[in-house]
Amino acid sequence: MRTKIILLICLVFILIWPAIQLYQHRHFQIPIVAGPGVTRVTKLSHYLPALKGTMADTWIFWLEGQESGGKALILGNSHANEPEGMLAALVVIENGLVERGTLLVIPQFNHSASRATRPGDGYPLYFNIDTKWGKKKFRMGNREASPLDQWPDPDVYLHYPDKQLLSFLDARNVNRTWPGRPKGLLMEQVTYAAMELIRQEKVDLVIDIHGAETMFPVTNCIVAPEKSAKLATMVSLTVKATEKFDNHVEPSPPKFRGLSHREIGDYSDAMPFLLEAPIPFLDQPTGPKTEKFLLDGKDPFLLRLSRKNKLFVPYDETGWPIDKRVGQHLSVTLEILRQYSRRTPERSIIIHNVPRYAEVVEKGVGYYFQDPSQVRRDRIYLN
Amino acid sequence: MIAKIAVVLISMVVAYLVGQWRRFSVELSLFLAAFLGAGCGAIFSTPPWQEILRHLVEGSFTYLDVILVFSTATIFMAVLRESGGIDYVVQATMNSLGKIRPLALFILMVIVLIPGALTGAGSVSLLVVGAPVAAALHHLGLSRPRIAAILFILAGLSAAAPPVNIWAMILCAGTAIPYVGFELPLGLPVIFLGTLTIFSLGWRPEKIAEAKENWEKMDIPKGMSWWRIALPFMVLFGLILAYRLWPFNLPVLGLPLQFFLGSITAWLTSPKKLNFFLISRETMVRILPLVSTMVVIGMLQQVMTATGVRGLISYAVISIPLVLLFISLAVIIPISEGVLTYGAAAILGIPLIWYLDSLGYHATVAISGLSLLWPLGDGLPPTALIGRLSVMVSNYEGSYWSFLRKTWFPWIIITLAGILMVIFSAKLSFLVRWSTG
Repeated sequence: MRTKIILLICLVFILIWPAIQLYQHRHFQIPIVAGPGVTRVTKLSHYLPALKGTMADTWIFWLEGQESGGKALILGNSHANEPEGMLAALVVIENGLVERGTLLVIPQFNHSASRATRPGDGYPLYFNIDTKWGKKKFRMGNREASPLDQWPDPDVYLHYPDKQLLSFLDARNVNRTWPGRPKGLLMEQVTYAAMELIRQEKVDLVIDIHGAETMFPVTNCIVAPEKSAKLATMVSLTVKATEKFDNHVEPSPPKFRGLSHREIGDYSDAMPFLLEAPIPFLDQPTGPKTEKFLLDGKDPFLLRLSRKNKLFVPYDETGWPIDKRVGQHLSVTLEILRQYSRRTPERSIIIHNVPRYAEVVEKGVGYYFQDPSQVRRDRIYLN
Repeated sequence: MIAKIAVVLISMVVAYLVGQWRRFSVELSLFLAAFLGAGCGAIFSTPPWQEILRHLVEGSFTYLDVILVFSTATIFMAVLRESGGIDYVVQATMNSLGKIRPLALFILMVIVLIPGALTGAGSVSLLVVGAPVAAALHHLGLSRPRIAAILFILAGLSAAAPPVNIWAMILCAGTAIPYVGFELPLGLPVIFLGTLTIFSLGWRPEKIAEAKENWEKMDIPKGMSWWRIALPFMVLFGLILAYRLWPFNLPVLGLPLQFFLGSITAWLTSPKKLNFFLISRETMVRILPLVSTMVVIGMLQQVMTATGVRGLISYAVISIPLVLLFISLAVIIPISEGVLTYGAAAILGIPLIWYLDSLGYHATVAISGLSLLWPLGDGLPPTALIGRLSVMVSNYEGSYWSFLRKTWFPWIIITLAGILMVIFSAKLSFLVRWSTG
């Protein structure tokens, strides 16, 4: 009995430190600076009050122009282990100035997932981005919402409304729960609230920013359904010609339900686009999952596989750094807005002061983040 | 970097072997491997020292849901067994079907396939119907190791059977392939291979006299009846099916709660008075080694990823030349399942499917083929999850390997079927078209 008690005490001591680390991760706040272009900040729960007070509720940043025009919605961190989406969204929030139309930005779309870790996958808890004023620290999240916020999982997830069978994990994956339902699972409520936002605000364009493995065929691309395909093709050709990077177009499969690029188009008038940039960190045959690897995307195994033509993107000793990934996303996003504005001038969205690919690669994404300690408190939103 | 990862891998293997040499249990040896692997990795800051405990604790939660399902399902079966229900079912089944052997065997196969097919977990098949089916097979004159072999193969096939196949779902989720069109590519091989298994291993009776004697000695409690047995199962399967039929009108209960509600029903309908808490406690003590294996496997998986060992293994597999790869699938897939359980589908399966897809192989059929191979690994150490459960529910007390040896014939046929499905996936794509109409 004495041995058991001693072992129990040892176990408690062993558990204390990791428990504190995991608790701090879940409650770590990222200060987001509302840039000069941000006119108001609301919460997603405005469109579905049931979300209020839950970990799934999240900030919406509004960048409204002097002149009325079209509306676009940018989603970052649909998958919180693909941080380029959130970083691109933050660059827009902290720097963008809208002249015409409205830009709505949700940097942490799956807010619950951004506060979860990924058991079994050995991720770092945080990553730091170098800025002019020091390091800006971010939580590393998970693909799915935290089970602390949505649990238990069903034995199999049935997508609403098609009843397509999906993996039980997808019940917590917001990019499988579109278009959602008001009294459904928490993640279904999140996507329903976003659909309500899109429908009520008459949003024209929805840009959902992701990252994908280099060994995944649907990477380094724009995924678009039939209604967005023409515009996506124009964008792809333009960035290739003017900014010299590839970003091909992938059709949204009509039979694969629950994805933003499928359901938003089917259940609203908006044109959806899902952007993918290669994130080597998510590949399986890689070295240790470190913060450095997350940011520089350099890996010896992927380099060897690239030489054997087993990757779907070009890959060399330079890896696929975060600046390149964020830069691509920003350029493609700006190009989508520009091409759409050209085609429908009455619903145009004109934005300035957001850097493009070459600038982000040159200066680094951190260059575009403001020092929260030098900003008025009412312009800081903790997320 | 590759040399550093190799050093970590060697340290983990050595730690495991030392554990086994010192006669530690499998789970303690695995823990030693995870702990020393993390420590060795920390020399190279992968992971940093201050993160070692966090990785071990976080990793231990990887299979929390699976552990809850095991625990509640085993309690469910334990309550049924204590109530005398299992003995009653066996006696009744053998009275009505015992004389028509092929029909009895076929029906017993279907009984094992259903729970796993509905939940995607072969363990659920074993925990729910394993014991009564084992008893029925025993009364059909089969020896304990042969019964365990039949149950192991059928439980594995039940997990692969549609509509729910967790390996396929993990692969679909990771490769952005819709989980549709799997009914025939999975259903047909499962029925064919299941029938072959039960007939090849169960056709010839071995110990009729002893079996009959045991059967007649069964002590069925007074008042036991079909409805007392059926009601707990009706509650369990009713709850599972109800979610399938009305998913948008019912709350998600989850398998652990569904099994718990089934257990409570079994306790209420028992003709004799049972101490529910005592049964639960004894059951948990019995499955503690299995639970601790799952906890430690999660830690091991996390440490392997944080140190790069997982990536090294994954890289080694997809670097194999194609012809050699197809041949080595017979070994790689089951062993990966034995070490990582469902984690194997993500670590090896996802890059493998992307690679095959890029070469023109049909992803859905290839996934189905691989799904037949993974369950075989559930009989291999260190986890041997389904193998150990098969041995447990069939009350076999001999050597584990002598039971596993009995599976050689269906094992080889299933392996061939799985690999051929992958190789000829493009030609078999009509099965997907027929499934989707």
